[in-house]
Amino acid sequence: MTGFATNSIHGAQLKDDIHGSLRMPVYDSVAFEFENAQDINQAFAGRKPAHTYSRISNPTVADFEHRIRLISGGTAVIAVSSGMAAISNVILTLAGTGTNIITSKHLFGNTLSLFEKTLKPWGLEVRYADMANPEDILGLIDEKTRGVFLESITNPQLEVADFKALSRITSENSVPLIVDGTVTTPYIFRSKEFGADIEVLSSTKYISGGATSIGGVIIDNGTFDWRKSPRLKERALKMGPFALLGALRREVFRNVGACLAPHHAFLHSLGLETLSLRIDKSCSNALSLAEFLQGHEKVLSVNYPGLPGSEFHAIASAQFGGRYGGILTFDLKSQNECFRLLNKLELIKRATNVNDNKTLILHPASTIFCEYQDETLRDIGVRQNMIRLSVGIEDFDDLKIDLERGLAAL
Amino acid sequence: MQITINGENSQLEDAEFNLLDLLKLRQVESPEMVAVQLNGEFIDRNSYASTFINPGDDIEFLYFMGGGSR
Repeated sequence: MTGFATNSIHGAQLKDDIHGSLRMPVYDSVAFEFENAQDINQAFAGRKPAHTYSRISNPTVADFEHRIRLISGGTAVIAVSSGMAAISNVILTLAGTGTNIITSKHLFGNTLSLFEKTLKPWGLEVRYADMANPEDILGLIDEKTRGVFLESITNPQLEVADFKALSRITSENSVPLIVDGTVTTPYIFRSKEFGADIEVLSSTKYISGGATSIGGVIIDNGTFDWRKSPRLKERALKMGPFALLGALRREVFRNVGACLAPHHAFLHSLGLETLSLRIDKSCSNALSLAEFLQGHEKVLSVNYPGLPGSEFHAIASAQFGGRYGGILTFDLKSQNECFRLLNKLELIKRATNVNDNKTLILHPASTIFCEYQDETLRDIGVRQNMIRLSVGIEDFDDLKIDLERGLAAL
Repeated sequence: MQITINGENSQLEDAEFNLLDLLKLRQVESPEMVAVQLNGEFIDRNSYASTFINPGDDIEFLYFMGGGSR
């Protein structure tokens, strides 16, 4: 099986279910029994493939991890409790006091907060580069750099970096390239093919299948030689290509305890089965809405990488196979106009999430970025007159009518 | 032939045995999720079928994913 949809539906093989269940059951069990003391010892030593305790691994979660590995082509996958847990676990595994990471200021608000407010006091230096200019990271990399981190499409700036150009620099300098592929997923962006060494995802978004539950994923694409990582080189001698997975499963992920609930894993596996259908519809709706808004007299500007006028259209086309994601932003005259439009909408929901089945609208400056002052907002490209639209899978005409009605009232 | 698997002596009946055969024999459900060391060297997973086992070999399987086979 090589097709994305086929793998996401049939990828996991359930061999021994006594009822012949076609779906992996929800193993809501904390612990798992062993026949004898030797077996449990072997399982703890990693010499026997068995689940011991669900904070570390669980059959339902492992089934979800297996499917993610199949659709991504990665070497190893670990599912975690949220997208933020995925980022935190990766940075905690690779970096530490006295080291640095290189990233962009154009990040999801909570990621920026994690770096600036949570990890900096622990001694991690965060260096910011303009990812639209890959050469920019060259001057920032040194022997203490433990990773270059960026989003596949930044949210809400909607910028797209040239990943092959970035990966040439990171691989030459033996630094892992980490991409947050939440808004693209492996269906839109094959991060491994474009040089990313690690992909993190919030499976809460597209993958969960309709914003049912929180979850996250860490994918080791198998492209980085972990013997070159100061934190992982000892493990790499013992665990080879699974050094990152081993460090997570047997130390950081296990100790932090941000495990995915089995029920959430079940829902996210279910969501995977329709992922390609939903993303196709979401992207198609987003492009049509971007074109509609671009031609509307009340709208000052529209930002969507699927529009030929976007400065990122060419690189997005080269990397994303003709799909540009389900998020767009547009500017009105003022924050007041933005608030008035939000309040006029009847179908589109005012909510802070992206890539739900439902179309959601948000004023980023007053919500997900409300902890930042105006100067920082300017620095990160979040404008007071900017609206973010996360486009769902409803009928396009209904979305258009709702926005038309709202804009007409301004 | 006599070999060592995860520190324990093991007897293989067939004269020709590769790593993939061994993973199947041990009923490993996701052989691609096992790190295999043969006499201290990691073996690329794409080489499992072409890596043949010799008498006296010391093989280590390391698991990271659970997997379900008890």
